[in-house]
Amino acid sequence: MSRSLRQIRALVRKDLWLEMRTRDTVVAMGLFVVIAMVILQFGFGTRETDLTRFAGGLLWVPITFAAVLGVGRSYVAEREQRVLDGLLVAPTSRFAMLIARAISITGYLLVVELVAIPLLGVFFVRGPYWGSVGWIALAALLADVAIGVLGTLVASMAVFTRARELVMPVIFLPLLLPVVVAAAGATHAVVGGHDMTSYTRYCVFLVGFSVLFALVAFATYEAVFDD
Amino acid sequence: MTDPPVESVRVGRGAALWSVAAAVCMAISVAGSYWIAPEDVEGPIQRLVFLHVPIAVVSLIAFGVACVAGLMYLRTRSQRWDDIVVVSCGLGLLFTVLAMITGSIWAKAFWGTWWSWQDARLVTYLIIGLIYAAFFVLRSSSDSGAQARFSAVFAVVAFASIPLSFWAVRTAESAIHPVALDRNGLQMDGPTALWFVIGHVAMTVVFIALLKVELLQRQMERRLSSIRLALEESAQ
Repeated sequence: MSRSLRQIRALVRKDLWLEMRTRDTVVAMGLFVVIAMVILQFGFGTRETDLTRFAGGLLWVPITFAAVLGVGRSYVAEREQRVLDGLLVAPTSRFAMLIARAISITGYLLVVELVAIPLLGVFFVRGPYWGSVGWIALAALLADVAIGVLGTLVASMAVFTRARELVMPVIFLPLLLPVVVAAAGATHAVVGGHDMTSYTRYCVFLVGFSVLFALVAFATYEAVFDD
Repeated sequence: MTDPPVESVRVGRGAALWSVAAAVCMAISVAGSYWIAPEDVEGPIQRLVFLHVPIAVVSLIAFGVACVAGLMYLRTRSQRWDDIVVVSCGLGLLFTVLAMITGSIWAKAFWGTWWSWQDARLVTYLIIGLIYAAFFVLRSSSDSGAQARFSAVFAVVAFASIPLSFWAVRTAESAIHPVALDRNGLQMDGPTALWFVIGHVAMTVVFIALLKVELLQRQMERRLSSIRLALEESAQ
């Protein structure tokens, strides 16, 4: 196994171990998604039981906000326990650090979606839903990778600013809007009816997004940690 | 303390020349677009296209300049490139807001509404505007040591997201926005096309002039603070 792969594996294992011991981030993200879904239901001002036409938004608005919380939270050890100093002093490739964190965030989001996707069917969709869960999960996986790559790049700047709690959502969410458009569109395409042409287009977009931002991150990530 | 260097005088002269050129070009463009260019069947409101499209195009040029300057900053770490990043992002944001306002006026006249979520370009410009507004939040909240570096990285990231925003929104909605330029060239007759192109040239010159003036101002501000510092030190 090449050195970079070993580094990535070690870093992912470090993130997942930390998370398994504390269970801070994923549990809070999962709970947040449930709360946000309930708020959205009441926020619409309706007691309708079938909100199929809003399925994309009902799933992706909570996940997007949970991602912002999770990405920011995943840097707490780096910032407060000075883990980052240790990593930067060690001969670790910066890009390996980015890939590892993107994998960890993707993992967190996948766990959260294990709760969110079934809940969408239970709470809001009346009609055929469970047959399209596999398609929603595939689109969610692609969106999670995009969120992971972009989130890692953005968070590695935002968490080292003064008003980080505010800066993180303000800079991350607008950049994430195209992913929300595509992920919600893909969800809507398969929940509201099997429009596989639209679904495929959105999935291709999500792959393109991840690839482009991986290239941008490859070109710029070194500069983020220049000190 | 040093005398005003020749370089500053030259830069100041350059900014003045570009400003005069911008005023002349805009005067020609506005006069031509509103009095000489033939009126469209859709009436005088259609003339807004001579202003709206160049503003929108120049905003993208400004973001492109910021991205290139960002990459150059990361390579050279020169203060000058950082200045170009921040000024270009600011001007790009200004032009984006103007493009949305002029687009909105046009939409009211033609579609009867100030805003349409079905218009892919209007929505995309809103997303782009939000991204570049966030640039200033990141910049103002960064420590001085990281400010220029983060700004440069963000300018590159933000520029990469522009085609993606267009792509995502286009995939979502059918395009109802009128298209002036497609694969078959400009969709307008000769004289109209001429004033349309002149509008773009004029707006680009305005952008360059504003960029030069802003850069000069930043340079002068830094010189002023160094002079102030030197005076304070000599007074002690």
